[in-house]
Amino acid sequence: MLKLRGGIAAIAFICLSGSGHAADPLAVGRQMLAEDNPGDLWVLRGEKLFHEKRGPKQASLEKCDFGLGPGKVEGAYAQLPRYFSDTDKVQDLESRLLTCMVELQGFKREDIVKNRFGNLDRMSDMEALVSFIGSKSNGLKMSVSLSQQKEYDMYKAGEYIFYRRNGPLDFSCATCHTENGKRIRLQDLPNMTDPRQMQAVVATAWPAYRGTQSTVRTMQHRLFDCNWQMRLPDLGYASDMSVALTTYLNRSGNGGVIDLPGVRR
Amino acid sequence: MQTIKIALLCTPVLVALGCASYPDQPTTRNIAEKMVSEAYPGMPPVLVKRSGQDRSQQICSKIGEMTLSQQEAAEVAQAARTSMQYPASGKLMGNWKVGAKLAYDGGGSRIRGGKVEKRKENGASCSNCHLLDPREVNAGNVGPSLAGYGAQRGNSEAIAKYTYEKIYDAWAYFPCSNMPRMGHSGHLTPEQISHVVAYLVDPQSPVNKK
Repeated sequence: MLKLRGGIAAIAFICLSGSGHAADPLAVGRQMLAEDNPGDLWVLRGEKLFHEKRGPKQASLEKCDFGLGPGKVEGAYAQLPRYFSDTDKVQDLESRLLTCMVELQGFKREDIVKNRFGNLDRMSDMEALVSFIGSKSNGLKMSVSLSQQKEYDMYKAGEYIFYRRNGPLDFSCATCHTENGKRIRLQDLPNMTDPRQMQAVVATAWPAYRGTQSTVRTMQHRLFDCNWQMRLPDLGYASDMSVALTTYLNRSGNGGVIDLPGVRR
Repeated sequence: MQTIKIALLCTPVLVALGCASYPDQPTTRNIAEKMVSEAYPGMPPVLVKRSGQDRSQQICSKIGEMTLSQQEAAEVAQAARTSMQYPASGKLMGNWKVGAKLAYDGGGSRIRGGKVEKRKENGASCSNCHLLDPREVNAGNVGPSLAGYGAQRGNSEAIAKYTYEKIYDAWAYFPCSNMPRMGHSGHLTPEQISHVVAYLVDPQSPVNKK
């Protein structure tokens, strides 16, 4: 009898796990990647770059303030975007890094922007730095807060832009991301108006290692790529529009436990 | 009296904090529209224009649970009606085989490095969002399944016309639906749309085979 029960349990288990894979045929590969995440290499490279004296001013990023004090990266990403008084702007991680690389290290803004996205021939310092700093919030909850007027403005502008239809295909972010269980071809689309789903999203993206692109991509890249699919022009790197959307979305994911970099298709 | 006292006490605090709060709708719009207008530095103006909105797109950008008023819906539908154009040949049902290629082609008109991709014509991107051929696995579900579309509706002139108009500008029938106004925006030509119509309604099309 015991044996029989065990057998039934085993069959039930097989059926359950089987149906799980049928619903998400890519789950096995995704799990394998998550267990052995190539993104960890970007974290290591980012850590090295962070402490290295670089640029015309031969300075490290150890004096860069990500909102919690100069050089303090632990927990910084979990509270971004936020307002910075020195720039009088709300900034996400990438626009803040851009500020520090220009101001502290003396790099030219246009050079960093040109190399913002890596490819197989050339790695991006930005993608590595974002991986490192993002990973320094692992285990913490996303907690974007609004207190400054410019933070409120950013959040509301982000929400407005999320629903704003434009381009030859009349798309907004909302076209694809306001219903449950939707897909573009086989690609699952999170419902970004559901806090639970947003918590899951912000937990592992972005930065995340993209298997199809063999590199870690950042939030700025994700938004740039969405714009491309929407038939809009190249979204300006670290533009206010990109930071507004990031503020709206990250805050919608408040409470999600961060585990970066994630892994994506 | 009590209220005045509280107000007097709170005012300096609020001023110090800058009375930070959510901006109202018109302010939000101004801030956000300025951001959009500055979001594409160095891009050719003709491409930046794509990020502008026509009147219908403005109406169809409701935030969250805000709903469309009847008047707004009528205005969007009217604009769609007015924009409708048909193939010079007058033939609304083209070649389903040409339509099949278009339906599974999700490319065309995308911009990278400030340049529009070079291509003979845009794809119709149907399968990104719709199931068409019931045997196709790699189909999206943002839009309803169209498998068996013609088998269910027939291929009369009336059905062909409705289908054509639905692709040319879906907002004539469903104001502000997610369906892009494929013909209205010029993303597809009237001839291309007629081929997609054939792919949907022709009895020989895989869409209508079991």
